[in-house]
Amino acid sequence: MSLLEVKNLKKIYTTRFGANQVQALSNISFSIDEGEYVAIMGESGSGKTTLLNILASLDKPTSGEVLLNGKNIVSIKEKQISAFRRDNLGFVFQDFNLLDTFSVKDNIFLPLVLAGKKYDEMQKILEPIAVKLSITDILNKFPYEISGGQKQRTAVARALITNPQIVLADEPTGALDSRSTDGLLRIFDQINKNGQTILMVTHSTKAASHAKRVLFLRDGEVFHQLYKMSMTTDEMYGKISDTLTMLMAGDRKNA
Amino acid sequence: MRKLYWRIAAINIKKNGKLYFPYILTCILTVMMFYIMCSLQTNPGLSKLPGSDALKAIMVLACIIIAIFAGIFLFYTNSFLIKGRKKEFGLYNILGMGKRHIARVFSIETLYVGISSIVVGLGTGFLFDKLAILLLCKLLKFNIPFGFYISKIGIILSVIVFAAIFFLILLWNLKQVHFSKPIELLYGGNHGEKEPKTKWVLALFGFITLGTGYTIAIITEKPLSALGLFFIAVLLVIIGTYCLFIAGSIVFLKALRKNKNYYYKTNHFISVSGMMYRMKQNAAGLASICILSTMVLVMLSTTISLYFGMEDALRKQYPRDIEINAGTIGEQDAAAMGDALDSLIEQSCIKTKNLVKYRYANQTLLRDGDAFYPVNNHDVSGEETATIFITVDEYNRIQGKSDRLNNNEVIIYTPNNEYSFSDACFSELKYTIKTKIDSLNVEEYYSLQFMDVMYFIVPIEQDIYDIVYQDKNIVEWNTMRYYYGIDVDDTEEKQIELANKISEYMNNYQTKESPDAFWYTSSVAQNKNDFLAIYGGLFFMGIFLGVLFIMATVLIMYYKQITEGYDDRKRFDIMQKVGMCKSDVRKSIRSQVLIVFFMPLVAAGIHIAFAFKMITRLLLVLNLTNTTLFALCMLGTFVLFALLYTLVYLMTAKVYYKIVE
Repeated sequence: MSLLEVKNLKKIYTTRFGANQVQALSNISFSIDEGEYVAIMGESGSGKTTLLNILASLDKPTSGEVLLNGKNIVSIKEKQISAFRRDNLGFVFQDFNLLDTFSVKDNIFLPLVLAGKKYDEMQKILEPIAVKLSITDILNKFPYEISGGQKQRTAVARALITNPQIVLADEPTGALDSRSTDGLLRIFDQINKNGQTILMVTHSTKAASHAKRVLFLRDGEVFHQLYKMSMTTDEMYGKISDTLTMLMAGDRKNA
Repeated sequence: MRKLYWRIAAINIKKNGKLYFPYILTCILTVMMFYIMCSLQTNPGLSKLPGSDALKAIMVLACIIIAIFAGIFLFYTNSFLIKGRKKEFGLYNILGMGKRHIARVFSIETLYVGISSIVVGLGTGFLFDKLAILLLCKLLKFNIPFGFYISKIGIILSVIVFAAIFFLILLWNLKQVHFSKPIELLYGGNHGEKEPKTKWVLALFGFITLGTGYTIAIITEKPLSALGLFFIAVLLVIIGTYCLFIAGSIVFLKALRKNKNYYYKTNHFISVSGMMYRMKQNAAGLASICILSTMVLVMLSTTISLYFGMEDALRKQYPRDIEINAGTIGEQDAAAMGDALDSLIEQSCIKTKNLVKYRYANQTLLRDGDAFYPVNNHDVSGEETATIFITVDEYNRIQGKSDRLNNNEVIIYTPNNEYSFSDACFSELKYTIKTKIDSLNVEEYYSLQFMDVMYFIVPIEQDIYDIVYQDKNIVEWNTMRYYYGIDVDDTEEKQIELANKISEYMNNYQTKESPDAFWYTSSVAQNKNDFLAIYGGLFFMGIFLGVLFIMATVLIMYYKQITEGYDDRKRFDIMQKVGMCKSDVRKSIRSQVLIVFFMPLVAAGIHIAFAFKMITRLLLVLNLTNTTLFALCMLGTFVLFALLYTLVYLMTAKVYYKIVE
């Protein structure tokens, strides 16, 4: 059985006075197995963010199901949803979303503290993760004192510390320079190798080329998918580029 | 092109209504209040008021306070406005508007705000001026002549003062724009917020100053020394409040954070760290709210209790309705004066009672144990004591007794202190205390509240001379005096009639043997107007400034809530994404906001609790002895203020929640 299953997902936004309806997701179905590393690509407005928000249980779909381990997250009650999110999902955002008021360490601890863990316990969980992400030196610093790459690694640590079923990453390399991007993608490769399921939404061909599978979204539908299989990252990069060009050409043809 | 600037300025103000509207409203109200105070001073109707000089002095003081306060306060609120709008100016700058053009937009905006608030402020001032006069006259129990009065001086002064304030604010704003880079302006709103530093020294300093201020307030017993010390204590407490709010809060929160078992709990984790940043941003503002609230409370409670305790105070100062007090008068003359007054009153056919007349001497001496020294003797340190000397004959007459005193024997009466010695020494003169009595029929007279008082009943008048002249170089001395006091058992009109008759008579009165004799007459009814003018005026000023300060508090709170809201919105958004549920977020917001906003009120409450004793001592100087009245007034104003504060909080909190969610 797959870890995450998305069935016939549909989302329609209605403008405030109900005059206009915008279909963000028309009919999306796909599934992700445990230990997979999936990238979702698409133009602006293709519904990537909407999809991720629904997967993150931050938003509700108009219709359709999202099953995590067979459990429909759409039907989870409002009261339990935070706890569900905390225990099962890890988030990495484009703009890091670190809290300025907390040190790096406290930022990473935040989900655990919300879950009511003891300090010693948290410390024990943190140590190996901090070593893996090489942020041991900056644990006592504050977000405004560290670089973008370090911020994103902190955010990854925060996502991983609850040992989530799946890590959801929203344009994780969007605000990083190329060196930090490489570093982060290596980290994603590594944690995926250790068995962590990752779902990443991205614009970047480079970032997507690290994934084992790439889903292409257009106009709220899964348009195409690519499997990496035995390809190298560079070969994958080429393949994705080709697909994107094809997508564009298709656009032109349609127009 | 020209028109464009005017339009941009107008649109800016409209668009930023949430920030600008309260600001303009405050400007209008301050202009109005300033104008009303100025106009009251020049109002011809009020100059006819008895005691108008004292009243005018109070008004001038209030005017100056309002002007200074308006300056500081408008500057302060303006800083909120500018902070919120930096991004906007950065954008203009990037879109190709030069700093010169921004300056022009700024000037036009200031012109709009300035002119509209001065014009509307004066307009409302004209209207409410009448209301203020009615209130004042009600307080002063005076009938105001009808009519509508517009003060030219008031208008001119208001325009000058507020034009100057707005001009200074404009200069400051222009300086801000001029010295900043566009990118900084664009991101002015969100600099990476640095963690506040621990300022141990400042916290300790605050602790010490506040402690010293409180200690002074508690241990000061003597009303006269309280007068001077009060301002020192107030200053210390103000400094201490600011230091503790700014540094002490951070030190405290950091200590909490160090305690890992406490800190890493869901509730504490978020509130402690959140509070730290809140305090960093708001400490000065909160300390200001605290000081302002304390000022309002003290001012209102003292002026209210003075006003309502006025009858008491009047009685303390003038124990009898009509009093004649003569100095440097011989024994024969005194007796003759008393008889003359007796017959005059009898002829007037006005009902009287409680007649007291006696001959005495009074002198302020320094008491050190059982030894008394002249006040100008700087070699000894003693307690300033008011001493009153009466011969045993006079004493027997007043008390209806027939006591006898041997040489060097005295009877003493100490209404407000303990005297546990068996002797009393005036330089070489030593008197043995025969008895201590615990009441004297003249007690009401000279019952000073702010000094120790001692009555000495001595054998003969020569003793008084010996004691009073113990040092021939004495500067401050009084020879024998004569007191004649009587109550009128009739209406106030009758009292004034009799008082006028007596003072007319006394103006032409001649003494036979004492050429330097002088005397003055007083009546409660006549003095009441002066008291009313002063106490009513103070009360009026208390209400007036109280309203002003409350308004300031409200506005500061409003701006705080808004700026807080914008800062917090992002923070709580992140927390929700990481797995904090909405109800937890709301709970956390509520507890933090509650602590932040009610801390000043609680601190103000503590301040006035410590100040209570000292203020009662100060009120003694003003002859207000009714501590219960004062306590009730203080409690009442505090409760009222707390209610108002809560109301304002609830209203502004609504705005805050709207922003955050």
